[in-house]
Amino acid sequence: MIQKKSLLGGWFCICICLFSISTVAQTDYQNYSELTKKLKSLQSKHPRQAKLQSLTKTIGGYDIWALTLSSGQAQDNPAIAIVGGVDGSLVLSTEMAVQMAETILSEHADILKTTTFYIFPNMSPNASEHYFAALKYPLTGNAKKTDDDRDGKINEDPFEDLNNDGLITLIRVEDMTGDYVMLEEDERIMVKADDQKGELGTYKVFSEGIDNDKDGAYNEDDEGGVSFNKNFTYNYQYFQPGVGEHAVSEKENRALLDFLYEQWNLYAILTLGPTNNLSSPLKYNAANAKKRVVTSILKNDEQLNQFLSKKYNTITKTKDAPSATGKGGGFFEWSYFHFGKLAMSTPGWWAPKYKGDSIVKAAKNSDANFLQWAKQEGLSDYFVPWKTINHPDFPNKKVEVGGIAPYKMYNPPYNLVEAISKKHTDFILEIAKLQPKITLQNIHVEKVNNELTRVTVAVHNNGFLPTHTEMGKKSRWLRSIKVGLELKQGQEIISGKKIQLIPSIDGDSSIEVTWLLKGRGTVEITAGAAHTGSDSTTINLK
Amino acid sequence: MTNKPKNLVVVVWLAFILPIAVLAQKNEEIFRAAGSPHNPKVQVAFNKYYTAEGLAAIGKKIADAYPNLVKRFSIGKSTEGRDIWMLAVTNYKIGNADDKPGFYLDGNIHSNEIQGGEFSIYTAWYLTESFNSIAHIKNLLDERVFYIVPTINPDARNNYMLEANTGSSPRAGMIKLDDDRDGLFDEDGYDDLNGDGSITQMRRKSDDGNMIIDPKDPRVMIRIEPDDVVTAQRYEYLGQEGLDNDNDGRINEDRPGYYDPNRDWAWKWQPDYIQRGAYKYPFSAPENRAVADFVLKHPNIAGAQSYHNSGGMILRGPGAKEDIDTYNREDVRIYDAIGKKGEKIIPGYRYLTVYKDLYSVFGGELDWFYGGRGIYTFTNELFTAYAYYKDKNGGRDQIYSFDKDLMFGDGFTPWETFNHPNYGEIEIGGFKKNVGRATPGFLLEEEAHRNMAFTLYHAHHMPRLSISDLTEKSLGGGLIEVTATVKNDRLMPTHASQDLKYKITRPDYVQITGAKVIAGMLVTDADFGVTEEQQVNPDTIEVTNIPGNSVVKVRWILKGNSNYTVTVDSEKGGIATRKKGKNN
Repeated sequence: MIQKKSLLGGWFCICICLFSISTVAQTDYQNYSELTKKLKSLQSKHPRQAKLQSLTKTIGGYDIWALTLSSGQAQDNPAIAIVGGVDGSLVLSTEMAVQMAETILSEHADILKTTTFYIFPNMSPNASEHYFAALKYPLTGNAKKTDDDRDGKINEDPFEDLNNDGLITLIRVEDMTGDYVMLEEDERIMVKADDQKGELGTYKVFSEGIDNDKDGAYNEDDEGGVSFNKNFTYNYQYFQPGVGEHAVSEKENRALLDFLYEQWNLYAILTLGPTNNLSSPLKYNAANAKKRVVTSILKNDEQLNQFLSKKYNTITKTKDAPSATGKGGGFFEWSYFHFGKLAMSTPGWWAPKYKGDSIVKAAKNSDANFLQWAKQEGLSDYFVPWKTINHPDFPNKKVEVGGIAPYKMYNPPYNLVEAISKKHTDFILEIAKLQPKITLQNIHVEKVNNELTRVTVAVHNNGFLPTHTEMGKKSRWLRSIKVGLELKQGQEIISGKKIQLIPSIDGDSSIEVTWLLKGRGTVEITAGAAHTGSDSTTINLK
Repeated sequence: MTNKPKNLVVVVWLAFILPIAVLAQKNEEIFRAAGSPHNPKVQVAFNKYYTAEGLAAIGKKIADAYPNLVKRFSIGKSTEGRDIWMLAVTNYKIGNADDKPGFYLDGNIHSNEIQGGEFSIYTAWYLTESFNSIAHIKNLLDERVFYIVPTINPDARNNYMLEANTGSSPRAGMIKLDDDRDGLFDEDGYDDLNGDGSITQMRRKSDDGNMIIDPKDPRVMIRIEPDDVVTAQRYEYLGQEGLDNDNDGRINEDRPGYYDPNRDWAWKWQPDYIQRGAYKYPFSAPENRAVADFVLKHPNIAGAQSYHNSGGMILRGPGAKEDIDTYNREDVRIYDAIGKKGEKIIPGYRYLTVYKDLYSVFGGELDWFYGGRGIYTFTNELFTAYAYYKDKNGGRDQIYSFDKDLMFGDGFTPWETFNHPNYGEIEIGGFKKNVGRATPGFLLEEEAHRNMAFTLYHAHHMPRLSISDLTEKSLGGGLIEVTATVKNDRLMPTHASQDLKYKITRPDYVQITGAKVIAGMLVTDADFGVTEEQQVNPDTIEVTNIPGNSVVKVRWILKGNSNYTVTVDSEKGGIATRKKGKNN
């Protein structure tokens, strides 16, 4: 009896625990294992629409998850990819990707009949785990051992937490030979002395740590690793820290590209990452678009991007985004310049501009403005106040540790994440509604004489978006629209082609195809490509 | 005394295994020809070509015959799962192989460009068979290591040889691609309609044709010029042998491939729409990835050669004109010195630069070797029409008379009629796939030897380091100043300019051990005593570069007398050591 009781008690406890997990509201970002659990639960809750697979295991031992959402055969519908964790310091993006998947499954499952979603919540699991570590600093690299300063020694100068607050911020050293000064509008912020204003530098500023290898540079060779978002082929920055020994050198980069290259139904990619072409579109530059190595968005795609931006700004009701262009080797730039898909990228969130009021003037400096916003919102822990320490490298100088806390400028307070994710879900659903859709229209069968029939159809793109971006027309990774006839015995083509390939069709536009056919009976006409959907019809030869 | 029985056993055992070497001929039956291994342990006929398996078998024989000179291993698997065999050739009794300056050599990246395979095998064979008889070769193998991969494209090498192809197909490896973007992969390849194992030409009698048969040579087709009055039967060309396999109204439009394994390398890689032939991303062909992974793990590689065909060219980068800044004057001087020597060693070959003399392309193997790794690299385009009659002025058309005069018609499939399902009655014929680019059999060994000689010259000029001088001076108070002169007596520096620019390989270390070091410094001007002190870790002076044919001096201040040793350790220049009071 006693035994039984305790067993019951045990069950009771487990139930309580489960209950509490599912009801207590999430208050902070979730780590790798929590998100993995979440993804697995999505799959088990929606077994027919969600399929979870691991693309690879990183050298750090993390699975790279791919979640496919579709109600039917995933490959049969045009698809959108959503990629998070492109930059491991943007923990928001991973959370967004998972919440967007959840919202689509639970509130908009209908869309999965016509659009497939491939969702990759976290491409930088090794890096994002630093957010949850005892010592926080926004690394973006994977677990690859790297010699960041290329001096032949590996990880010989890491960061050190000198004030023991669990965060890596900055150190400032009072030194007449330094070239930093305190910012006038907020003395907590250190900026370079402005020659034009006749300022003289009085501080040296370094990242928080010790010059372990006595080379004059601070923390220039920490554990580093290779950053997912610096390891792609477009404008790859050779031999810079975090880029890897060559482009697409890392398992997770390769695994994602290998997967995407196989999904012929993919027409759009939404990158949740540091680059932003949605708040304001990429700008066309004729000279750069015409060079052999293209570095400008193409003309028609600029218009498309303008259209997407308008949609984005309207639906997400965001504004004042800081300009954010790629720094080379980025995933978003690859998705457009080297893959040719409809490419979109947004960080999802940025600190709204503090506008000031009658008493407090808005700071012009973005860091200072950010701190004003944080204060206005009543947020704590956004700044580590400068505190004097003893630093072994500067025995007779005043050295202080402090600065803006890591992660805070680019990841919102957690309670905002749900609303941000919802708005971005609305945006991507809108894009899905506009997707290219090939149909056969105005099918016209005309008897020429007893033997011959003329068949004419309009191959029409019902979607608002073109079947191919202008860049996509050049890419070998988007198929042509194939129009084919299935002939039976005794039927013969007198004029026209059995198989015809159409390079692209604009949104709400058609290409007319005509045949002169000999014989009797039925003929099946099919048109389409994996990323545009297909249509077919059967006609009777007269 | 107790050793005696053991020795006896060894002798008996040796006598037993010696018959393995019976492949070699009896010495009294032959007379040495200067310049060739006299009586090789491994007999190889260098007047024929070998499949991937054939090359692998020869490589194994060489490795088995010379275990102290060759280590043979697979650096990875091809698309179809074949091993990519490497022969690492050096004198394994001296030093650590991967610490010696390394020379990387491969062939056959383009599937149809086959003779690089035989030339690479010839090199491994010649080095091993000459080690005991030629002092220069012994020195090379004592001091350097050769990483030889006869074919880095075994699948498509076999496809070229075993399937019906032209002399120019396939160029790609065996990954299937949808060339015409119709959703089907490799669905319309060549068809060997006349069953001769080659893809030749199709022609058809046509009153509107613009060709006629040369009345003096029925193999030759002549183009009709606007003012010609033609009474002979007119013909039209219908392209290369094939059918419309997928009924789309086109013939042979989606053959195996197409991607170009030599547009797949990571330096300034560009996608297919910019650089035709690029695949997914750098090293997306598994064979190239295997090479790249090996090279990344072997920073000792200082020189490289990648054999192609054809045209008789000794090519250096840059491959793309956009990449012109990657090569500076210092590098070009070194390339020029080696390349010009090559023109002399291999008559008929010209030393050229890819982007301006051939074409401007991104993603080539030689670009990554130099741009990405700082390795001085050439690509030889093997075989040239010069070989037909040893005549620089003769063009490609000499092949017709060469085929008649020297090959007695072996290279040509005569035109024969064929009933084609799309074209009706046609004729099929032309030069076989092993003519035009692949060196004819009886010329193969000489060309292999000359190309190898060029490569050995290239390898000879990889950096060679020594501590050429070690001097001591007493500074009083028990302090001793030691100056070490580190000499590089070959053409190449330990760091190419590209290597210095991007710090691709680490600095060279000059280290003193067995002494109490008070200070260490680099001597920048020995005559005027100008030095740069290295405060951190002064035992090991970091030297950014040891230029070719020059010296670098480093200095230490030591406390007290000691029996020290100085070692220079360079990734590309090897390791050299000198003890106090001893010569090199």
